[in-house]
Amino acid sequence: MTRIIRPDGPVVDQAHHLAPPRRVLAGARIGVLDNRKPNAGLLMGFVAGRLAERAGGPAPVVLTKNAAQPAPREVIDQLVREVDLVLTGSAD
Amino acid sequence: MASATDAPEEPAPADPTDEVLELAGESPEELYALLDEHGWGDGLPVVAPTPERVEAMLAGYPGRTDEVLAVLPPRSGAATPRTVAVNAVMAGCPASVFPVLVAAVRGMGRPEFNLRGVQATTHSVAIMVAVHGEIVERAGYNPGFGTFGPGWRANATTGRAVRLLLLHVGGGRPGDGDASTQGHPAKYTYCLAENGPASPWPLYPRSRGVEAPSAVTVAAVEGPHNSHDMWSTRAAPIFEKIASVMTTLGSNNAPMMGAEMFVVLCPEHAAQAAAEGWSRQDVQLFLYEHARLPQRVWSRHHPDRWSLGGPWAADVDDPERLMPMVSPPEHIRVMVAGGPGKHSCVIPSWGTISQSATVPVETW
Repeated sequence: MTRIIRPDGPVVDQAHHLAPPRRVLAGARIGVLDNRKPNAGLLMGFVAGRLAERAGGPAPVVLTKNAAQPAPREVIDQLVREVDLVLTGSAD
Repeated sequence: MASATDAPEEPAPADPTDEVLELAGESPEELYALLDEHGWGDGLPVVAPTPERVEAMLAGYPGRTDEVLAVLPPRSGAATPRTVAVNAVMAGCPASVFPVLVAAVRGMGRPEFNLRGVQATTHSVAIMVAVHGEIVERAGYNPGFGTFGPGWRANATTGRAVRLLLLHVGGGRPGDGDASTQGHPAKYTYCLAENGPASPWPLYPRSRGVEAPSAVTVAAVEGPHNSHDMWSTRAAPIFEKIASVMTTLGSNNAPMMGAEMFVVLCPEHAAQAAAEGWSRQDVQLFLYEHARLPQRVWSRHHPDRWSLGGPWAADVDDPERLMPMVSPPEHIRVMVAGGPGKHSCVIPSWGTISQSATVPVETW
């Protein structure tokens, strides 16, 4: 019998949790966090515009970030202040 | 040699925080089956990380073996001296390289290294480990012929241990935590040693403000691109060729002018430059001036590159103006490695989105 130690080790709890889903869109303020991948802003901006029309909310807030790095603190803070939900996450 | 009357050796006690798995044996087939079951490994055979081998790797370590050296994304795994040792055993490392691995992990954990992006990107970026100073000879690294490999245990296993940590602790599995479109052979192992004795200039860490006797650099980069010049008898044509290798539109340096790019000079190319009075800074300035393309080319391919490291360049209104591949000049990182021969290499980086780290290696 051979004993070996697992190579992955423990996971550090970084206390990241998903926000609760918004069940009703009526009047929602919609944001877009465009990661500047090709066509990401085009696609998400279009979807956000249609959602805003349907929900009767204000025009979407569109902010950008670098695709390979976390969004700057001020971008996150602005989204928290100004919108109720965010569309983001388009790859190549 | 033990005699037949010796008592059987007691197995080394496992650390209480270890999760120990039991196998019928440690044949290659049994180890492969274990790796497959858990989604571990790099596809090559491994050494079984038994408690005895892990304790031998950690022998003499002066700090706490459960200290979190870095949290490796995307899995958020805790890279501790202990988990580093487990993966070092699996990679086949001699214990002499363990201090380099500890320092390398600290470097990868720096926020500006942006390991989450490095792990997750579709780019083929791999993590290069460059070893500098006294530890090169002490730990058995090869800074000469074929420093990038193969054939030298310390070089080969150091790079491999880093990759196993990224796979196991970091969770960077291809198609899961690692979205690299094609991957890269350098993702198996990627390590070189600076050839300090053959370099005409101070050790590379001195150019980064690190004065420790031993150091390691980790950098998120492409593989080496060769630059061959066995004909020139003056430095300038040698470095013009290197500049031509640097000036490639497909690398991430192209859309990001402010990114680092490594130039690893063979000792003979470096010696020619030094014989003509060039310092490391002269090399950087020459390459800054010669690795250029007309603005119209950049406008066609990467019109936004000025926002990523060169906002001053956005106001240049001359399509024929030659604009630098890398700016500022000191982002051209120059070191000397390898043996006799006339082959240097250029190593583009992943871009401004990751900055290399040069970290002192503490020995014990």
